Amino acid sequence: MSTNHFKYVVVVLLVFSFATMVQAKGDDFNSVVKLIEQFYNVKHEGIPFLAKAGMGAARTAARIKGGTARQLAEAGSIKLAVFEDQDFNGEFMKFRSTLNAALSGTWLPLVQTLSGATEQSYIFTREANEKYVVLIISIEQREATVLQVTLSPKNFARLLKDPEGTGRAIAEEATIIDQE
Amino acid sequence: MKSIFHINIIRTPLIALLVIIGTGFMARAQDSRIQLTSLDHLAAKANQTVDVAIDERLIRIAAKVFSDEKTDEKEIKQLLTGLKGIYVKSFEFENDGQYSPADVEVIRAQLRGPGWTRLVNVTSKKEGSVEVYLLMNGEQIGGLAVLAAEDRELTVVNIVGPVDLEKLAKLEGKFGVPDLEIETPKTKKNDDK
Repeated sequence: MSTNHFKYVVVVLLVFSFATMVQAKGDDFNSVVKLIEQFYNVKHEGIPFLAKAGMGAARTAARIKGGTARQLAEAGSIKLAVFEDQDFNGEFMKFRSTLNAALSGTWLPLVQTLSGATEQSYIFTREANEKYVVLIISIEQREATVLQVTLSPKNFARLLKDPEGTGRAIAEEATIIDQE
Repeated sequence: MKSIFHINIIRTPLIALLVIIGTGFMARAQDSRIQLTSLDHLAAKANQTVDVAIDERLIRIAAKVFSDEKTDEKEIKQLLTGLKGIYVKSFEFENDGQYSPADVEVIRAQLRGPGWTRLVNVTSKKEGSVEVYLLMNGEQIGGLAVLAAEDRELTVVNIVGPVDLEKLAKLEGKFGVPDLEIETPKTKKNDDK
């Protein structure tokens, strides 16, 4: 192989690997959903079904908050997968290390909590063009949620100041308010 | 001749390897990041485990997102200046004796390393023992570690970078740093007033 050919191959490989990295970044939400499905042998439910179920709750929540519910996530940025009425039996420590390994490199872990060996929650973040993408994974004994949202710098600052509290608020907003 | 040649072939890379390892150890000695993974097994026994990892990249991001106009955010921004990481691992148990002295000893052993000093005049309003350690890189503070051990709770806080107790007190309740209720002679004096 000539030097020119070799350079050409290297350039193609670099472009290809960069494209793969970008692709992987975009697909991490789906990868996490698949990881949960495979690890726990469960199936997630689609958003249309949940939207119908969530509409009533959304109206109630908006009414409680005076009709002007706080908006944390950037409009249209929410990706949500919910698992309901299924058993999440498995070694949570093994799941934790598998999840961390799958997301390391692209995502920065912010906070991970485990409660009583049955509840797990994870918050990962990454920068994306002046905004911040947050991946929140919550697993309980019979249900789980995978949520990806984009936050403005202002709301990301809130998340950093209080990772657990703001993480919970984002999850509540996405699973109740955004179903409207 | 052949044997000397063989020895030289082996010796040269061996010396190079030892130099690399030695340099690694020296660099590590002044690194204030302590390894907390030895505590991970406690998560299986704990009622509640909190693991916060704010590394240098996240701190850089945080410095960008906090506003210079809001007083509280400006203060946080100043607190974060120069920091390279904030790491917290906390376990709450239902019963006594869920973690062993050996678990704590693995952490203490690291804090006996070069540069680390235990601050003996620091106490806490919290029950149990609270040990505060500072890593000095010459005249500069290179990091801080807090080891709080109660009967049913074990918490380790590790702040990497230039941080003092005043800074730590301001970080309490933020970035996942728990309220450690640390009292220094200075704060005690203030309380007495």
